[in-house]
Amino acid sequence: MPERNTGSDTSRPTRRRFLELLGKGSFVAAFGGIFTTTMRFLMPNVLYEPPTTFAIGEPDDFAPESATFLEDGRLFVFRRPEGLFAISSICTHLGCNVRWNAERGGFDCPCHGSSFDKNGKNIAGPAPSPLKWYELSLNADRQMVVNTRKEVDKNFRLQV
Amino acid sequence: MKPFLETWVRRLTAGRVWKSFFRHGPVNTDLNRSLVITSNVALHLHPVKVRRDSVRFWYTIGLGGLSFLLFLVLVITGILLAFYYVPSTTLAYRSIKDIDNVVSYGRILRNMHRWAAHGMVITVVLHMCRVFFTYAFANPREFNWVIGVFLLLSTIGLSFTGYLLPWDQLAYWAITVGTSMASYAPVVGEKIRYVLLGGNVVGQGALIRFYVLHCFVLPAAMIGLLAVHFWRVRKDGGISGPQLVGTPERETVTAFPSKSYGLMAIVPGQDITAERYPEHYVLTWTHLIPKEVLATIIAIAALNLVSVFFNAPLEELADPRVTPNPAKAPWYFLGLQELVHYSALVGGVLLPALTVIGLLCIPYLDTRREATGVWLSRRRLVPNVIFGLFVVSMTVLIIVGTFFRGANWAFVTPW
Repeated sequence: MPERNTGSDTSRPTRRRFLELLGKGSFVAAFGGIFTTTMRFLMPNVLYEPPTTFAIGEPDDFAPESATFLEDGRLFVFRRPEGLFAISSICTHLGCNVRWNAERGGFDCPCHGSSFDKNGKNIAGPAPSPLKWYELSLNADRQMVVNTRKEVDKNFRLQV
Repeated sequence: MKPFLETWVRRLTAGRVWKSFFRHGPVNTDLNRSLVITSNVALHLHPVKVRRDSVRFWYTIGLGGLSFLLFLVLVITGILLAFYYVPSTTLAYRSIKDIDNVVSYGRILRNMHRWAAHGMVITVVLHMCRVFFTYAFANPREFNWVIGVFLLLSTIGLSFTGYLLPWDQLAYWAITVGTSMASYAPVVGEKIRYVLLGGNVVGQGALIRFYVLHCFVLPAAMIGLLAVHFWRVRKDGGISGPQLVGTPERETVTAFPSKSYGLMAIVPGQDITAERYPEHYVLTWTHLIPKEVLATIIAIAALNLVSVFFNAPLEELADPRVTPNPAKAPWYFLGLQELVHYSALVGGVLLPALTVIGLLCIPYLDTRREATGVWLSRRRLVPNVIFGLFVVSMTVLIIVGTFFRGANWAFVTPW
């Protein structure tokens, strides 16, 4: 009597084993596909969020030697003799708004006690990095424009 | 008048219609005290008989049952609140104001929902402590401890997602901080934050996501986990208890000599084991149900009383421009916030992750299998001290975060 293939012999490929793998494989592939597309579905492609580039007014709206907090844009605008610059108010620790401490000449975060110096460098508390500096530019209407997607270093000044 | 009423009650309960509802007779014999449990879908979560040790109040303090009761209260009050609440950034805060000020009994319902949620966090944690300190997670109950850890995480997740819904200042900034914490997780952190918020900032996308998690995803997960949790309690022969002494031999039940229960895969062996250690088992109907009813009445009354006298807080409308100082999370997260104040990565990601992994591993590491079902056994001094220190340090962190932290998270004294 010829030996019957029961499919339990896994040492050599058989039709049964091939079909079994094909079945299990398509099962895994199908569920993998469903899982991946579901995950992708959860990541929106179009966001209705505030613009990341916006005008904040003319340079002369900002008095010399001033530190102005613009709440809508969540940033500070400083005017110094050598030019204007913008520092983000978003704490690099967990995203609270930092406050300008005029006495000390630095920033304090109300949530977890981080503090930063006048250039936004983290000097105490849990914040892991300095506050971001945003690029400032002038548009055709002589309005200053902030681009929060464009970071600049702390030597940046907008000359007017 | 009285004989008339009694006659009608007797006629009604003897009728075919009544008998089709309730398949047991008047509950005045042990047979009917058993049938009332097995023939009622709600009661049959219970076994017909329970161990005398496990219905002692001071063994469990009813903490697991209380957690379940609070969950039911939260489901009911939550469904009612959902008739008025609108998950939109422009309407959410106003609908909460409406619930508080113009909807009949709205404020008390919202208060009950809030205080039951806080209560459930407390009872779930205390239930975990009870299970640890009585060594109730010992073999064969290891996996039910694991399910319990996931139930704890679901409870915390429900609390956290519920916090955003009123769209007030506390909600907005608690969620800003909480989701920023997620972004510190290695590799996938930013992606997790993006998916949680449905974008880059806390806005409409985040509100609707938290609403769906709070009202559908997490309650569904909770109900599934609860089903497994309760089912395993039954499969493991009821809740834990001390080693039984007495008459171990089974009184072989020969009511159905033709059936082999072992073959039917109901219980191992040839007979049913209901009459093992008969002196240790009592009827559920007479020894557990009354206690549960009493505990339910007291808990609901207490919750109502608290909700009449204490209002759930509602701060000003969420303002992305102004961070309140100090910005505090709900109290059960203040221990975490205190840790996060030292380091977001260590305090907000690594320590919580290690804590959860540690909790999950407990029943597989702590396996000496002695003194099960005994509170604070001297033979389990070392594990009890370690777990006790863990609970105390969590509590201390929460107390520090709640009372000893002021503006800019600087140290203050509450007096």
